[in-house]
Amino acid sequence: MTEKTWMYSVLEAVQWEMRNDPAMTWIYELTPPVATNAGMPVINLETEFGRRRVVNTGIDENWMASAVLGAGLAGSRAATYIPYQGAGMPYQVIQNHAGKLRHMTGGKASMPVVFVIEMTGQTPGFAGQHSDYEVDTIYAHIPGVRTVVPSTPYDAKGMMHAALRSPDPVVFLYPAGLRMLSEEVPDEPYEVPLTRAAVRQEGSDLTIVGSGAGMPDVLEAAATLTSEGMSVEVIDLRVLKEMDTETLVTSVAKTRRLLAVDQSYYTLGPAAEVVARCAEAVEGARFRRIAFPDAPPPASPEMFTWMRPDATRIADAARKMV
Amino acid sequence: MEAEAISRKDLRDGISRRGFMQIAGMAGVAVGVAGGIARAEGAIGYHAMDLSDEDLTQMLRTILRIRWHERTMADRMLSDPNYRAYNHFYAGQEAVATGVCAALRNEGPFDQIDLVYSTHRPTGHALAKGVDMGRMQAEFDFRATGINGGYAAEMHISDPSVGFIGADGMIGPGHVIATGSAFAFRARGSDQVSVVFGGDGTYATPHFHSALNNARLLDLPFIYVLENNLYHQYAHYSYSCPHTDIADAARAYGIPARVVDGQDVFQVYNAAKEAVDRARAGGGPTFIEAKTYRYYNHWGAPGADVGQLGAFGYDPLAITSFRPEREVRAWMQRDPVDIARDTLIDWGVLTAEGAEMLEAEVRSEVDTAFAWAAEQPLCTPEDGLRHVFVEGEVIPRQIA
Repeated sequence: MTEKTWMYSVLEAVQWEMRNDPAMTWIYELTPPVATNAGMPVINLETEFGRRRVVNTGIDENWMASAVLGAGLAGSRAATYIPYQGAGMPYQVIQNHAGKLRHMTGGKASMPVVFVIEMTGQTPGFAGQHSDYEVDTIYAHIPGVRTVVPSTPYDAKGMMHAALRSPDPVVFLYPAGLRMLSEEVPDEPYEVPLTRAAVRQEGSDLTIVGSGAGMPDVLEAAATLTSEGMSVEVIDLRVLKEMDTETLVTSVAKTRRLLAVDQSYYTLGPAAEVVARCAEAVEGARFRRIAFPDAPPPASPEMFTWMRPDATRIADAARKMV
Repeated sequence: MEAEAISRKDLRDGISRRGFMQIAGMAGVAVGVAGGIARAEGAIGYHAMDLSDEDLTQMLRTILRIRWHERTMADRMLSDPNYRAYNHFYAGQEAVATGVCAALRNEGPFDQIDLVYSTHRPTGHALAKGVDMGRMQAEFDFRATGINGGYAAEMHISDPSVGFIGADGMIGPGHVIATGSAFAFRARGSDQVSVVFGGDGTYATPHFHSALNNARLLDLPFIYVLENNLYHQYAHYSYSCPHTDIADAARAYGIPARVVDGQDVFQVYNAAKEAVDRARAGGGPTFIEAKTYRYYNHWGAPGADVGQLGAFGYDPLAITSFRPEREVRAWMQRDPVDIARDTLIDWGVLTAEGAEMLEAEVRSEVDTAFAWAAEQPLCTPEDGLRHVFVEGEVIPRQIA
């Protein structure tokens, strides 16, 4: 066990899978598959596996996603890393092809491919096409594509192993705001299932559900509330598609109160889905959700930081429910 | 008069226009040997020589305004911890924006001016098109009185009042959209033209090909100015394009294409003038590839020092293929400021002293713009909910 950053953990999984499968490939633009960690060997997939298998390509995210899909259909595992400004560019091929092919071929198509899609928007100053708040929502909406959004280095490594070994196409969302997050991560390969949410903290008064880049704020709010005497259960969704209804419903059936938190836009965001699933299954519970407003993230830090559902706002919302 | 005469004589003795071009050509060869590729077509029709002294001087002024805005911004980024703006620097490429925009209609009613679609290296295009420097700088600094009210920042600045439709955070889509503006001009019988600036990285996108194909199919008044500065982000353009001259691709679409020395504002102007004349006359699209170079990194100014131009090959992402320092320095030997200034002195349009005075004026203007921007009010947080639709505000869903 060694302390590792989010991206180091992910590339360690990719490196292991590529060493064990000479057919596997990786396509990138802008963001090289390089990670360093204090006291650890540098991971550089391009130098290790060469430019035949690890391709630095031009700016065409649609091609990148299409190419790994084609590699998968040809029987080779493949992954691509789409940097944040291009998060929506490969949408069409993932939605209209990757998501439908298995079904429309009567189960014949196999797509052992991973689309690593970088999510930003949690950083003020960039705005416009460099601030995507809808990426988790739009990819989670597509049938036939497993969409995950790990929020810890441990989960990121285990879910990358699971994603690369899955015969289904996986959209692996990378919350860029967690770039510097680090924790103890095993050196050996292991899998975190692509089907389960994680209960981060157990409690009986209130369930708070978050995901991805929103989790540090959710956990901070939970710590504050706990210190005030509230018993908070915290769930990290981790998997957006297929969403783990059982873990959610079990928790809300116990606490009778659900606060769902999104870093995505309010309308149709994952929090809306969380509330809907629990409302269908749990009688008499109380529900509330907070999210980024239905407005594109502005550049100004003053406007932007006010619009985020941060730890203070999450705690305020929780106090109104208990 | 006497000063001008002396100046011309010095130039004849020192470095003539022809002599300068020879040196420039040699430098281009040196650059090619060093690993970069910069070839340009030879002499083309010199429309620029027919311009008035005032118009020619204005071109140098624009180049200097872009350059000193860039250098001031870089220095602030490196030295002032309170400076909030970031930038994708344009320094080194000033002659391209200047030469192209000098051939456009930049003033008048919106339904008569020419439109420019920019990249996310937009400051040069914006200043050349006529965007106010102070208000642009205030926007970069996320101020309420910035040109877009603090919503845009550097990658998305826009000022339709001067025909600057705007910067673009993406590579590609804006180029197709620009053909839509050209389509509208043709449909409504306007003689306006739509110009898009793109980098060499655009070649790889499907949008590059869609824009050119549709512009040619419909014979649109569309000018594609490809600024080939050799690098898309941190990768040499050979990673995304198999051609030495990207203009070859445009020719394959049946579009007249020209490769020009993007360091020479007058070469750029000549090509742009020809393209604009063709488009206004209903002759359809033109492709101009300007061979140029950016002095700074893709983003920000890592590796640079205060008061020093350029970032010498510094590579924050540890990508081995990013540019060598030798290449940066070779290109800086063919600086667009020097070329424009020396040419105007050679042509007798300006004296050396006059050029110095002009530069001093420009530096003063830039300092004033930065000082004004720094005093502007910050944005009101709640205003983040405005401008989603024409009317009304969205609900603050972050608050329970």
